[in-house]
Amino acid sequence: MMGLASYLIISSILFICGVVAIMARKNIVAILLGLELILNASALNFIAYSRFLNNNIDGHIFSLFIIVLAAAEAAVALAIVLRFYQIRESVHVDDATQLQG
Amino acid sequence: MFDLILFFTSAILTVIGAILVVATKDIMHACVYLLVSFLGVSGLYLTLGADFVAAIQLVVYVGGVVILMVFAVMLTGGPHAQKQNKFGIVKTALMGNMRTYTVGGLIGALVLLMMVKLYLSLFKIYTPKELPEYLPTVERIGKALITDHVLAFEISSVLLLGALIGAAIIARPRKNRIN
Amino acid sequence: MTDTIVSYLANFEPFKSFLAFLTESYGANGPTIFAFLIFLVAVIIVVGALATIGGLGTYAERKISADMQARMGPNRVGPYGILQFLADGVKMLMKEDIVPKDADRFLFFIAPMLALTGVFGTLAVVPFSSGLTLTDLNVGVIYLVGIGSLVGLAVFLGGYASNSKWSMIGGMRGASQIISYEVPVVLSILAVVLLSGTLSFGGITKAQGGWPHEWFIFHNPFTFLGFFILFIGSLAESNRAPFDLPEAESELVSGYHTEFTGMRFAFFALAEYIEVFVLCGIAAALYLGGFQVPFNLGGDTIWGQLLQLGAFFSKTLALYYLVIVIRWTLPRLRVDQLMSMCWKYLTPIALFNLIGVGLWMWLFDGKSLFTLLFKSGAAAAGIH
Repeated sequence: MMGLASYLIISSILFICGVVAIMARKNIVAILLGLELILNASALNFIAYSRFLNNNIDGHIFSLFIIVLAAAEAAVALAIVLRFYQIRESVHVDDATQLQG
Repeated sequence: MFDLILFFTSAILTVIGAILVVATKDIMHACVYLLVSFLGVSGLYLTLGADFVAAIQLVVYVGGVVILMVFAVMLTGGPHAQKQNKFGIVKTALMGNMRTYTVGGLIGALVLLMMVKLYLSLFKIYTPKELPEYLPTVERIGKALITDHVLAFEISSVLLLGALIGAAIIARPRKNRIN
Repeated sequence: MTDTIVSYLANFEPFKSFLAFLTESYGANGPTIFAFLIFLVAVIIVVGALATIGGLGTYAERKISADMQARMGPNRVGPYGILQFLADGVKMLMKEDIVPKDADRFLFFIAPMLALTGVFGTLAVVPFSSGLTLTDLNVGVIYLVGIGSLVGLAVFLGGYASNSKWSMIGGMRGASQIISYEVPVVLSILAVVLLSGTLSFGGITKAQGGWPHEWFIFHNPFTFLGFFILFIGSLAESNRAPFDLPEAESELVSGYHTEFTGMRFAFFALAEYIEVFVLCGIAAALYLGGFQVPFNLGGDTIWGQLLQLGAFFSKTLALYYLVIVIRWTLPRLRVDQLMSMCWKYLTPIALFNLIGVGLWMWLFDGKSLFTLLFKSGAAAAGIH
């Protein structure tokens, strides 16, 4: 049967994809996609450890809270994106310069 | 046997989806690939015996987050409007340079080496043991949520309410100030 | 996963000896492989039957609407025109497959598939009878909600990919409508989950009884309201009139599937009709007793299973008839009316219901209204 390492490798691939998406993309929505990938990678890690190391339910609870946070984060972030688009007519991160000194 | 098939299908879906999210140019397609990746992660949860989390993953990501993302992409002008921004900055200054590739390759190799080191130690420490049976987790999660983790549970409900109201307030249409 | 088709069959003696024989002749892994084969056959049967029902749904819709408008309806192909859906299907297959010039080809290709995947995925947990359930997941309700929302995404992507204004507006309406109406639907499903204490459809159905007074709809006043919220929400989730704004014929040409032709259009249409059937089946299983037969007639024998199938399908098809009648009776809502109905009326009522059901469970120890009335009446009359 598949061991812990295979899950960790998958989650690290997810995490790296998320980081690359955040670094390489200039579109705010694409950055949010990368963020979701990172959150998924961490949730997968929690559940993998909870099955292979101590088999209690706490890893599941952590993953549930990560999912809750991801949902809340997506809602608020997309609202901000829409607002930003109304103001600047762009979703390019380099346009978000209004708070620069 | 069945676990293996499920594991490999989900793993391939997850990895291919995640890589395509990064690789594809069209952000609408990236959302669909993200959906594929989430479905794969849900399958991986199933192979880990986390049935409740897998179902919640389906509900929240497939039904909520991806649709929200797609909505946001469409409301902000779709993929064609985002090729360049208002000031004409298509790409940052050093992008596509020989120097950038060198530094990027070095950093990538460094990260890879770090990961290999980490995983090698992990392989050495971790000894596979007899895995427990798949048990239904719903009742255990429910009990844990309202006993041990009740504070986090309540706080997350407040957080969700705050997110709901905040999102509604931030995204509401501006009043037209007619002078 | 307690009651599936495989575990049901595994209880039969001849089947057990057959499996033992196969195991001896083909090696140690016989039962697993044959369980998988039986499961495969059951899946093919269920999907085929439901596709046929979806096809017949188009026929039923045309015939019932004709009946209501004093017309004849389809009557040329086969007896009473019942083969009309086959003729339509063949016509769809022969049609030219048109992709609009500036369409997003990838999304245009994937959207009908997603719709069909979402609908067929929901079939996995629909409890047709106590033996014929493909898999009785212990998180069945959540799974159904999650997989079912793929249809909303498919509607949106279909509208977006067509690169047409009508489709775009239809897709946006569809997606916003589906994710909005998911809230009251899930809340009213949660009320039932609260009553039965399980998330599996088999468990929820078994918590009810064969007689109407044992159904959850008549359990207490709150669940009585909850059934109608679930039903209205299901109508909206499957884009049926009076909530068929995504494909409003008189405003948007045909909504999100304006640009789809041939097989792709057939996929969308089939997905819609099967989804209506599945949602009616879910409403029947959650609130109307599902496959429960009075006196548990027939028990676990094959006749009992047939009776249970009959009970499930008669309830579901009655609801299906109601859906079609509603479509040809009520006028279409406006978008703002639709949204205010969801957020200002259905969702608060559903929340109130959920709290009410919780209070009922606490006050009356989960007894149904009928039990309370009957027991108190009997006690007052001095009968035990």
